[in-house]
Amino acid sequence: MSIDVIIPDDLWEEDNEGVITSWLVSDGATVEVGTLVAEVMVEKIQCEVESPAAGTIKITKEEDDVVNKGDVIAHIEA
Amino acid sequence: MSDTKERKLTIARAMAESVAQYMRKDEKVFVMGEDIGVLGGVYGNTRGLIEEFGEERIRDTPISETAFMGAAVGAAQNGMRPIVELMFVDFFGVCFDQIYNNMAKNIYFSGGNVKVPMVLMTSTGGGYSDGGQHSQCVYGTFAHLPGMKVVAPSNAYDAKGLMNAAIREDSPVVYMYHKGLQGMGWLGTERGATVNTPEEYYEVEIGKASVVREGTDVSIVSLGMGVHHALKAAAELEESGVSAEVVDLRSLVPLDRDTIRASVAKTGRLIVVDEDYHSFGVSGEVIASVVEHDISVLKAAPQRVAFPDVPIPYAKIMEQFCLPNADKIVATYKKMAA
Repeated sequence: MSIDVIIPDDLWEEDNEGVITSWLVSDGATVEVGTLVAEVMVEKIQCEVESPAAGTIKITKEEDDVVNKGDVIAHIEA
Repeated sequence: MSDTKERKLTIARAMAESVAQYMRKDEKVFVMGEDIGVLGGVYGNTRGLIEEFGEERIRDTPISETAFMGAAVGAAQNGMRPIVELMFVDFFGVCFDQIYNNMAKNIYFSGGNVKVPMVLMTSTGGGYSDGGQHSQCVYGTFAHLPGMKVVAPSNAYDAKGLMNAAIREDSPVVYMYHKGLQGMGWLGTERGATVNTPEEYYEVEIGKASVVREGTDVSIVSLGMGVHHALKAAAELEESGVSAEVVDLRSLVPLDRDTIRASVAKTGRLIVVDEDYHSFGVSGEVIASVVEHDISVLKAAPQRVAFPDVPIPYAKIMEQFCLPNADKIVATYKKMAA
């Protein structure tokens, strides 16, 4: 089963776009529910993206990629 | 299942984690500086601290570097272990009397009767068009003056280990972190700086360089951001059959001259990469460490890839023209080997 890692709608206040500044796990790493996986910067403020599920992460958006709320940035293979 | 132990941190997170862990076990440690409280530091390196430790131990200061630098020296001499942030190293001009006449010299002046256990953490470097008074490294300026230890990490593992060692140190340590390695996006992105970092306490010894890539044809010696340029150049050189060794100095004072000399004795060629100004700086000192010791090991005259002796331009194309990069290192090697 594959679960998407999505930029949550409430991660920041406005509807500005953000940029992935760091992946804190490698592609293919094992993650738990709530593992901090990435940092997204919006207007010089950093927001934290956590894993919604346990499993193996497949990263689909890279550092420096522009992202919006609702975007899928990775999948978790349970 | 080794990847389950993966724990990558940005340098910003590694610094904050070190400080938080130290503060939990030692109530004498506190942090002072501009925007290090509610904002969490302009470079993210004090994020989460004020929420855990409160305003008494995480102290936002007015924009008066002389006042808070002097307060830190006084607190250190009276038994505290302050960590004080100078937001941009470029601002040293307004508080340098406190730094080099008091912080650096009071242990000596007191005949060793007074200790000054403080960490001065400060950001260095450019590359994101912030102009000539917000983009300097001035590593050589601090390393030149006696009485201060000086460290400059290039990745999160070293950042945490050096911060732990710096806080425990009874003499003043200047902790110079490069903005482009913090994982802050708008200041630049360098994946190589975000590495596995243990949660438990450990130290990286101040004064020990690290050979981060082994090679036999040329030693590329650098620090901070330059280490990442050097590693990229080494990868490029490998494609043309050249084996480059990369030495990350990690500390400037004390300088690990033995590791530099051993590397150059093996390779016979030396390129020093330094984002600080070309003349009178770290690059010249590294070269002197080798040539004063033994010139017979050299197969070519040592070279440096450093920032030209000009104020740092604001215009992006001009700043990038001046900064060290992997292409300049590769070109320098090709000239040396010709």
